[in-house]
Amino acid sequence: MPLGAYLALAALVFAIGLFGVLTRRNAVGILLGIELMLNAVNINLVAFGRFHADLAGVMFTLFTIAITVAEVAVGLAIVIVIFRVRRTVDADHLDLLRG
Amino acid sequence: MTAEMLAFAGVAVVLLASSLGVVLTPNLFHAVLYLAAALVATGVVFLLLDAPFLFAVQLLLYAGGVVTIVVFAIMLTERLVGASIKQASRYLINGALVSAAVFVGVVGFLVQMPPVGPRPPWPDDLTVMVGRALVGAFAIPFELLGVLLVIVLVGALYLARSES
Amino acid sequence: MTPRVGSATLALLVLGLPFASFLLLAVVRPLRRSAPAAAAVSIAAIAGSLVTALLTMSGAAPLAAQQSPSTTWSWIPADGGPMATVGVMVDDLAMTMLLLVTLVSFLVQVYSWAYLHDEPRTSLGRYYAYHSLFAFSMLGLVLAPTFLQMFIFWELVGLCSYLLIGYWYERPSAARAAVKAFWITKLGDLGLVAGIVMLWSATGTFDFWTLFQMASLGSLPVEALPLIMFLIYLGAVGKSAQFPLHVWLPDAMEGPTPVSALIHAATMVTAGVFLVTRAFPLFRLTPDLLTLIAWVGAFTALLAASMACVEIDIKRVLAYSTVSQLGYMMAAAGAAAPEAGFLHLIAHGVFKALLFLGAGVVIHVFHTNDLFRMGGVRGSPWIWLPFVVGTLALSGVWPLPGFFTKEAILAGVLDARLLVPFAMLSVAAFLTAFYMFRVVCLAFFARPHHAGHAHPRVPGLMNGVCWVLGALTLAMGLQQAFFSGHHEISGPGWLPGFSLALAGGGILLAWAMYQRRAIDPARVARALGPIEWMARRRYGLDGLFAGLYRGVLLAFARLIGWLDRYLVDGVVNVLSAWTLRAGDRVRRLQTGQPQDYVYGVALGTLLLFVLAQWGLR
Repeated sequence: MPLGAYLALAALVFAIGLFGVLTRRNAVGILLGIELMLNAVNINLVAFGRFHADLAGVMFTLFTIAITVAEVAVGLAIVIVIFRVRRTVDADHLDLLRG
Repeated sequence: MTAEMLAFAGVAVVLLASSLGVVLTPNLFHAVLYLAAALVATGVVFLLLDAPFLFAVQLLLYAGGVVTIVVFAIMLTERLVGASIKQASRYLINGALVSAAVFVGVVGFLVQMPPVGPRPPWPDDLTVMVGRALVGAFAIPFELLGVLLVIVLVGALYLARSES
Repeated sequence: MTPRVGSATLALLVLGLPFASFLLLAVVRPLRRSAPAAAAVSIAAIAGSLVTALLTMSGAAPLAAQQSPSTTWSWIPADGGPMATVGVMVDDLAMTMLLLVTLVSFLVQVYSWAYLHDEPRTSLGRYYAYHSLFAFSMLGLVLAPTFLQMFIFWELVGLCSYLLIGYWYERPSAARAAVKAFWITKLGDLGLVAGIVMLWSATGTFDFWTLFQMASLGSLPVEALPLIMFLIYLGAVGKSAQFPLHVWLPDAMEGPTPVSALIHAATMVTAGVFLVTRAFPLFRLTPDLLTLIAWVGAFTALLAASMACVEIDIKRVLAYSTVSQLGYMMAAAGAAAPEAGFLHLIAHGVFKALLFLGAGVVIHVFHTNDLFRMGGVRGSPWIWLPFVVGTLALSGVWPLPGFFTKEAILAGVLDARLLVPFAMLSVAAFLTAFYMFRVVCLAFFARPHHAGHAHPRVPGLMNGVCWVLGALTLAMGLQQAFFSGHHEISGPGWLPGFSLALAGGGILLAWAMYQRRAIDPARVARALGPIEWMARRRYGLDGLFAGLYRGVLLAFARLIGWLDRYLVDGVVNVLSAWTLRAGDRVRRLQTGQPQDYVYGVALGTLLLFVLAQWGLR
C-alpha cells in the first residue's frame, strides 16, 4: 500500500476524533476523542518512519504512547476531582473560566 | 489485490467503524469498548507497517492500560448512561463541519505529495534497533520520560487523594 | 559735552552687590528672620553700590567717536555670531541713572527701618530681600546694552513691584492692587516684546549700539519701523503710567509709603521714560510717532492733574502727581527734546521721593492718609520745611530744579510747534502748583480738627532722610541756576516769566481756597460741575478696564473651558467608552467551556492550512 493510503487513514481517524472532542458532553468522552486523535498521529509517524527507513518515526511513536498514557492518567485524575467538587462531569457546566 | 491490500482494507474498515462508534454511541461504557477495538486495530496497522514491537507496546499500554484507567474513571463518575445522542452531544452539525474541513485540509496537502517509492528494508531487526537506540541516541529522552512518569504518578496521586 | 564711558567692572560691582544681598537674604533663613541683620545686609549692599556708582561717574573716561560704550559677553550662540549677548552699557545716561537709583534706594531703605518699625521682625527681612532684588533689577535695566537684557530686567522690575505693592498681602485691597499693577503693565509689555522681536527679525540684532550705528548711517530697514517703535512705546505706556494704562498707579499706593517713594516715584515708573530716552536714536526716525507720544504725554499730564485736585488721600494725590509728571517727561521726548525729559526725570526722582517720604512723616504723625484729618503743625518747621521745598520744586519755582526742567520741556514742546500739547502742559503746570499747595495747606497749616498734636514726635531717621533730600533738591536747583551756564534748550524770552506766573497763580489760588478760606472750595467745585464729578470717579477708566476684563477675557476663558471639556475631553472620553464597550463585546468569546476553545484551535489550524496552501502556490 502506498504511503498515502496510511496517511489518509490516519487523517480520517484524526477527523473522527476531533468530531468526538467537539461534540461529546461528558468530560471522559472528550478524553476518548483525544485518544483517537493521538492514535492517528501515531499511525502517521510510523508510516513516515517506515517509508523513509528512519528509526526516528518509531522512537517518536514509542515516546508518544508513553506520554499519552501519562496524560490520560492525569486527565482522569482531574476529572475525578472535578466530579468530587462540582458533582458533574457535564462539559456544559464546567465554565469557571468564563470571562 | 494482494494479501497486503486486503489486510489493509480490512483493518481500515474495522478502525474506522470502531472510531465512529467511540464518538457516536451515547453509552459511555460502550464507547470505551469501541475505543479498545480501535486501539487493537491500530496495533494491527503497526504490524502491517513492519513494526511488531510497536504492536506489542500498543496492546500492552493502550488497549490494556488506558482502557482500564478510563473504565475506572467512568465507574467513579457514575454516569454510565447518557441521554439519547441528540442530548449527549452539542452542535453536531458544527462539529461535523469543522472536522470535515480539517480532513479536507489535510488531504489537500496529501494530494500534493510527490510519490514515494517502495519501502526500503530495515537494516536490522526493529526491536534490536529500538533497544539500541533507547540506550544510545535516545538515551536522554528515555531518562526524561522516566522522570515524567514519576511526576505524573505523584501528580495523579495527589489530585485523586481522599479529602481527609 | 563729550560722551563718556565708565568702567564695566565697577558697573558690574554696582549690579552685583544688591544681587548678593538678595541671594543671602533669600537663601539664609536665619539672616532673613532677624530684621536688624537683614536690614544691615541690604543697606550695606546698597550703600556699597552708591559709593561704586559715584566712583564710576568720577572715573569715567571720554568716549571715542566710533567706540561702543558697551561691554558684552556672548550668551545664546548662533551661526555667524551670538544671537544674544549680556553685558553692561556704561554711558552718561546709564551712569546718571545709576546714581539716582542707588541714592534713592539707599535713602528709602534707611527710612524704611524707622517707618516700618512696628512690623513683625520676620516679614521685615522679606521686605529688605525684595528691596535688594528691586535694586538689582532696576540697575540691570539701566545698564542693559541690548533690548533683550533690558526686557528681562523690565519684567523683573515688574515682579518686584508686585511683591512690594502686595507686601501686606493679608489685606485684600493690597493683593488686588498688586495684581492690577502686574496686569496693566503686562498689557504694555505685550507690545514691548512684540516690538523687540519684530525689530530683531528685521535687523538681526538686539544690541543698542549696533542699532544706533545703523540708524545714524541710515541703513535701518524703515518699512515696519513706525509699527515696531509704537509697540516698544506701548511698553513705556504701561510702565510709565501713560493714558490709558495709568490706572494701576493710584491703586499701587496700597504698598508701604517708602515703597511708593522708591518705585512709584523715583525709579520703576521712570523705566518707560528711560526706555524712550535710551532708544531715542530709533524713535527719532519716526516723527509721527513722536508727535503721538507728545500728545499722549501732555494729555496724561492734564488728566492726572485734574484728578489730583479732588483727591482726599495724600498718597493718591502724590500718585496722580507722578502720573502727571511722567506725562511731562514723555511729552518732552515726543517733542524731540529727550534731554529735557531726562533732566526732569532726575530732578523729579529726587523731589518726588522727598514728597513721598515727607508724606510718610505726616501719615506717621496723624495715623491717617486723609488730608482733612491733618493740620496744625505750623509751629514745627522741622516737619514741614523739607516737604514745602519739595512742593516748590514740583510747582516750578525758581531757584529749584523743577523750574528749570519744566521750562526746558515747555520750550522744547513749543519749539516742535506742538501748540495744543503746550496748552495742555501749561494748564497742567497751573493745576500742579494748585493741588500741591492744597496738600501743604491742608496737611500742615490748616487749623487742626482736634488738639493734641502740638508737639508731634517724629523718628529722627525719617526726618533726617527728608532733610537730606530737601538739601539735595536745593543743591540741584542752585547748581542749575548759577553753575551751569549752558542751557541746551532755551525757549522764547517770555517763557520763564510765563511758567513762573502759572506756578504763582496756582499757589495763590490754593492759599486763597484752603488757607484763607477766601474762596469756598465747594462753590468752585459746583462751578466746574461735570468735570469735577468725572474727576472724582477717575473718568470711569477703572470701570472700563474691569468691564473689558470681565467681558472679554473671562468670556474667552469660558469659551476655552467649554472647548476643553466638551471637545478635548469629549474625544478622549468617547474613545475610552468605545474601547470599554468593544472590550465587553469581545469578552463574550470567553465562554469558559473547553470545547469552544477547541473550536478556536481547530479554526486556527484551518486558517494555517489555507495560508500554507496559498504559500505553496
